[in-house]
Amino acid sequence: MDKQLLTEERFEIDRLTILDCSKLRFYKDEANFISLDYNGESYFNVRLTRLIPFYSKTTYISVAYDNADNEFCEIGVIRDMAELSEEQYKMIDEYLEYKYYMPEITKVYSIKDNSRGFIFVDMMTTSGRKTVCVRDWYSNFRMLSEKLLYCVDVDGNKYFCPDIETLDKKSMQVLEIFV
Amino acid sequence: MNLLLSAPKGHDFAEYLFALPFNLYGKAKKVDGNLCVTESEILVYIDGEIKDRYPLDAYEEYACEQLVGCSMMVGRNGDRDAKCICAFTNDSFVAFAEVCKIINHYLTAGILVHESDIDEPKCPKCGLPLDGYTECPYCASKIKTFSKLFGRLKPYAPQFAVAVGCTVLAEILNVVSPYINRILIDDYVRPQNTSHWLGFAALCGAMFVILIINTFLDWANMKASRYVSLNLGQDLRQDVFNKTLDLSMSSISKKTAGDLINRVSNDANKLQSFLTDYGKDAIVRVFSLLVVLVIMFSMNYKLALLAVVPIPFVLIIVKKVYNTIHMYYGRVWRFSNAHSKLLHDALNGIRVIKTCGTEEAEIEKYRVASEKWAKSATKAEIVWNLIWPVADFMLTIGNYLVLYFGSLMLLGRLGAFGTLTLGELTQFVSYVGMLYTPLRWLMQLPRQLADASVSASKVFEILEEHTDVRDDADCVDLDIKGDIEFNNVYFGYNIYNPVLKDVSCKIEKGKMYGIVGHSGAGKSTMINLILRLYDVTQGSVTIDGVDIRKISQKSLRSQVGVVLQETYLFEGTVLENITYAKPDATFEEVVEAAKIAHAHEFVTKLPDGYNTRVGNKGHTLSGGERQRIAIARAILHDPKIIILDEATASLDTETERQIQEGLNELCKGRTTIAIAHRLSTLSNADSLIVLDKGRLAETGTHDQLMRQKGVYYALVMAQRKTTKMKAVQPQQQSAASHPAPAPAN
Repeated sequence: MDKQLLTEERFEIDRLTILDCSKLRFYKDEANFISLDYNGESYFNVRLTRLIPFYSKTTYISVAYDNADNEFCEIGVIRDMAELSEEQYKMIDEYLEYKYYMPEITKVYSIKDNSRGFIFVDMMTTSGRKTVCVRDWYSNFRMLSEKLLYCVDVDGNKYFCPDIETLDKKSMQVLEIFV
Repeated sequence: MNLLLSAPKGHDFAEYLFALPFNLYGKAKKVDGNLCVTESEILVYIDGEIKDRYPLDAYEEYACEQLVGCSMMVGRNGDRDAKCICAFTNDSFVAFAEVCKIINHYLTAGILVHESDIDEPKCPKCGLPLDGYTECPYCASKIKTFSKLFGRLKPYAPQFAVAVGCTVLAEILNVVSPYINRILIDDYVRPQNTSHWLGFAALCGAMFVILIINTFLDWANMKASRYVSLNLGQDLRQDVFNKTLDLSMSSISKKTAGDLINRVSNDANKLQSFLTDYGKDAIVRVFSLLVVLVIMFSMNYKLALLAVVPIPFVLIIVKKVYNTIHMYYGRVWRFSNAHSKLLHDALNGIRVIKTCGTEEAEIEKYRVASEKWAKSATKAEIVWNLIWPVADFMLTIGNYLVLYFGSLMLLGRLGAFGTLTLGELTQFVSYVGMLYTPLRWLMQLPRQLADASVSASKVFEILEEHTDVRDDADCVDLDIKGDIEFNNVYFGYNIYNPVLKDVSCKIEKGKMYGIVGHSGAGKSTMINLILRLYDVTQGSVTIDGVDIRKISQKSLRSQVGVVLQETYLFEGTVLENITYAKPDATFEEVVEAAKIAHAHEFVTKLPDGYNTRVGNKGHTLSGGERQRIAIARAILHDPKIIILDEATASLDTETERQIQEGLNELCKGRTTIAIAHRLSTLSNADSLIVLDKGRLAETGTHDQLMRQKGVYYALVMAQRKTTKMKAVQPQQQSAASHPAPAPAN
């Protein structure tokens, strides 16, 4: 009886599926969402996710979809987007750049602390100059590694600088007190 | 909330109901776009040119989807037809979400609301998030706030007056001392006058008396200040706490528990110390500054000007220096905090570190954190020691000017300035010194004022908030029998986003009803309405034929018992927790209730029996034990209506079975309403109420509903499918993955 019970209680184990890039065919539907044909199956509106967004933008991309019960189903993982054809690479890259829209910080002019947990950062980004308000800045304006600066403003917009050492001297002086 | 924010180039706001700017379009490129809504259409503009137009009913539903770094507005027809209408950075998310809700409301109810009724998410003046406040605490009128604050001193006016009076008198006496010094120097010390011992003794006596009076004034001041401060603090905390408990759930849910705790304790404490320390000191310091200035100018206005003129420039420089030093010490605090976190992590996780053999890596991490802290502290100290003496010197530079020019006057080398005696110079220099004390203090005042004004706005917002669920003047205390009826009930946490739509059903007394439906179908909302945590938007909920808005909240809630999924136990003993809802229960009644709830057995095994302290939230007990205490509490409460909201959802099957017995005892002969995710838990229910997307889909017994093959049938089937065990299929090992552990047999 016990043995039978134990046998019944065996669960399916999820394993990492690395996708064969030569068989992937992503296409955009009319609404600009990305769908996929793979191994004879069609998947509508697939969800592409950078698994290590801060370390790599083009490797380890999860491809998933929601089934009829709104459950997360992963089709597999693209190990390196470079294995895709040029046209497919472009399509996926555009989608990911959209999803992970995150202007890069190229210069920091000034940081003002209002002494109540907020700072106002005046900076130049790849989307133009802006002054952003950061709440609880000890958590939301910080180094994720020795070089990578990550900033989330009060609205949830994200900014980053991949290597603060590449910034000019004045920016570094402004940043020094805060990071 | 204002939803007319930006009209397209060459167009006017008057053309649209709503007009919002968006900044991303195709390929995440920056654009200058506008999304405008008219009575019949959604218009998408790029650079002032119309790009797309959609009739409002082009899609069944509109929604805002948050991506990682931006968001988009999407139109949907079912699950498979969706279109991205425009995209924007997250600062516009709330506005777009609001527009989507309004259009969705139009699509379901046929009414296009022209104005949003939610509060602005950000202060239009300073741009800081409002976080549920109706008025920005940083921009609120400081005079208005402080007059309200000082108004709270009224009951303690005599004591406050004593404190102020004592401090003013002490300041006056302080001004007299340099004058006595001057007479001593000029009349007795310099001329070496030994023939007037009596006068000399009288002056010494006067100084001694001043010392004694000053000591007495200090004592009286301290006593009166403490009295005012402690009582005022207590009043503030109590009022904020009372008001917080009195507020409706919709007001409470806008604020986090941490925020409310802060307002009750930290903000009230800040105001307490501000009023009694800074409030009193502000009066005294300004007074003292004026007195000293008047004396100095009347003694010698030229010397007084030398002392005063540099002050404004010096203050500006010193303020900047203060800010720099503050930043450096802020940095030290941050590194020290990071160091503490690392230490906390490493010591708490020491077993993991040892079992993984990562001691060396952790030691290195600690070394780096510790070194960063030490370096930042050294740098801050260097900056402090370099800057501070210079800043302090600059602040008191007037003193040196007065000494230099005063000495020249003493020696008669500065004819234009007149002459001075040694005693007069000593007296003047003492006053210059007394000028800097209030000045240094006043430099800190703006910061203290700003802090206190923010705290005051937060506290007064709670104190002045009108609770929206309150007892009518003609409300009654009802002896509840247990018949409940929902009559065409509409309710939404946002008025145009109803969670319950046209729900009508009857719940008969003494019977058990189960409410089932998908997550978000409105199950818990129905219960919230029965408890009158919220008032219905439309329709009514009646108990024994009486609208619950006409029943006093105390009477209603004292006759409804609730057992939730997560039981909250208060700090205290098992006994105190069981008697929480009926403090006058006898001990025998408590044991009786505990026995019915199957709690007595485990309580007797606890070291101190019913006197065992269960600690914060009852974490010393298991989930099942906590739940049994909650059931005992509900049994003792002897309610007419019982609500079980996922009461056994977090328990294992065996514990659930035991608790179910307790629950069955509790529910006997009472109206019972149960929500359970596990549909099998509701097998005892006399009837089931099935909700689907906020509407009443079906009612009936389990068998009737299964035969109908409707929403309930689909729910049961879906649940059976997900709970069905899946046999392990041989999997192809994928490339590059580590071998997964074999399933246990």
